[in-house]
Amino acid sequence: MTDNQSFIQVKNLFFTYPDGTKALEEINLSVTVGEFIALIGQNGSGKTTLSKCLNGLYKPTSGNVIVDGLNSRTTPIVQMVRRVGYVFQNPDHQLFNNNCWDEIAYGPRNIQLSEEEVKIRVEEATQVVGLPQIYFEEHPFFLSKGLRQRVAIASILALRPQVIIVDEPTTGQDARQSFEIMDFLKDLNEQHGHTIMIITHDMPIVAQYARRVIAMGQGKILADGPTGEVFAHPEVLERTFLEPPQITQLAQGAMELGFQPGTLTVEEMLRQFEALH
Amino acid sequence: MTLAIEIEDYSWQYLNTPKPALNHINLQVEEGTFLGVIGPNGSGKTSLAYSIDGLIPGQYNGIKHGQVKVFGKEVEAYDRGQLQRIVGVVFSDPEAQFTAMTVEDELVFGMENLGMSIPEIRERLEWVTELTGVGHLLLKPPYEISGGQKQRVALAAVLAMTPQVLILDEPTSMLDPVSRRRVFDVLARLKSEQRNTIIVIEHSLENLVPLASRMLMLSDGELTLEGETREFFQNMDLLVAQGIHPPGAMRFYYELKKSGQYPGSLPITLPEASQELKGLVARTRQP
Repeated sequence: MTDNQSFIQVKNLFFTYPDGTKALEEINLSVTVGEFIALIGQNGSGKTTLSKCLNGLYKPTSGNVIVDGLNSRTTPIVQMVRRVGYVFQNPDHQLFNNNCWDEIAYGPRNIQLSEEEVKIRVEEATQVVGLPQIYFEEHPFFLSKGLRQRVAIASILALRPQVIIVDEPTTGQDARQSFEIMDFLKDLNEQHGHTIMIITHDMPIVAQYARRVIAMGQGKILADGPTGEVFAHPEVLERTFLEPPQITQLAQGAMELGFQPGTLTVEEMLRQFEALH
Repeated sequence: MTLAIEIEDYSWQYLNTPKPALNHINLQVEEGTFLGVIGPNGSGKTSLAYSIDGLIPGQYNGIKHGQVKVFGKEVEAYDRGQLQRIVGVVFSDPEAQFTAMTVEDELVFGMENLGMSIPEIRERLEWVTELTGVGHLLLKPPYEISGGQKQRVALAAVLAMTPQVLILDEPTSMLDPVSRRRVFDVLARLKSEQRNTIIVIEHSLENLVPLASRMLMLSDGELTLEGETREFFQNMDLLVAQGIHPPGAMRFYYELKKSGQYPGSLPITLPEASQELKGLVARTRQP
């Protein structure tokens, strides 16, 4: 990955909270347009802090975050959030308007687009997330969690950021809802060209959807690479207090039978089993 | 055999809703059972938990039919506050249960309400902080700690009161895999060291399955499947049709079984699955 292709460049980033807590140390990474990344790590490992540095909400204590050629230190936040959108873990922490339409229109209005343009943006965003018109006038809190999450994502999409970071998209969702949300993010990635970064503890979801994994521990990046490769090294994952999905562990326990340590899904495992005949 | 919970032809419909949240439920839970409860969101899992600790019908308006008994006595027949000493609930949204300004006060609050002596409170405080690993948080305000820490504090606060029946509603939804395992380790210790009846509502099955002695599935307010854990998971067609996503190893064997390549009963844990795989591969390789 060369520098001139990357959309986000993080160089030697350190971030310390005002109370002295060192949240990020020596972070170096670059993100290319079109990637689907999972940011994983224990609670408190710095995942959310890093995301907030990427969208300019936090300024580096030292080092630099360059997004689309703009340095976050000197770029107004309204310019940053048009490029990197962050969807909160709990949509209720982000929703505060009295109806869904105003909620989604808030961002575009805030960056001072004309009402005409705001209308276009909101309509586009609701269409992409599949929010039916009957909900436009509804108060977000009367919607199901899945729908509230869609409103939250739509309100970010309306700013048309290239990169969308979604914090814990599947927390509290049942299996069917989780796949629905993830398929939707996959669609944003493949059909609409958005770069997606999910923050999650759900390793089977990571294995199935993410093409790249960045594993964090104690404010540092401990592993960064293609999903299969990162999961194939449990000893590195162990340092991040994570473990590969169960199906990967099953394959890793049966390597002498010919199974691959980087097996990510049940389907891959089945194909390898068939091939043994 | 003592029955901790008896539910007979029980239905509950919240006021102004078109259909019952729980519909003709029949269930018996023996004391000391570790019961796993699964089902899609909106299937009635939380309503079931509220029905056992008396929040339903006490705090909600609606129509109740049938009976819910805890240790032989109907939930409404308990004096105010008495049932909550027997049944403790850890809510999926821990903030919903916090009232105090520090984590320590939060943990002590329930015990004070039960009228425990100061030495006993001190002893239990030490026990739960060690068990749940929240010692370093005691002086912090509950609203300043992370989601995962909140869940552990909520668990500690309920454990401190050592209820005979402990209900956990998605206790690990915000936790990373290691913290999640730590919560389940706590539950495993409770299971082996005490006679607690434990009911866990969970979407993530990997940690739940090895501990649960029985499992129950709700769909659309109805109890659609209940049984001993191993037998329960042999009904995989029914579970998958209800949108339940089994852990990877179990699904691997389920797919093999569907295509006629695996004749046995589905292994329910990773060690079982690994063991089984060796024999299975050896058999397929035989000429």
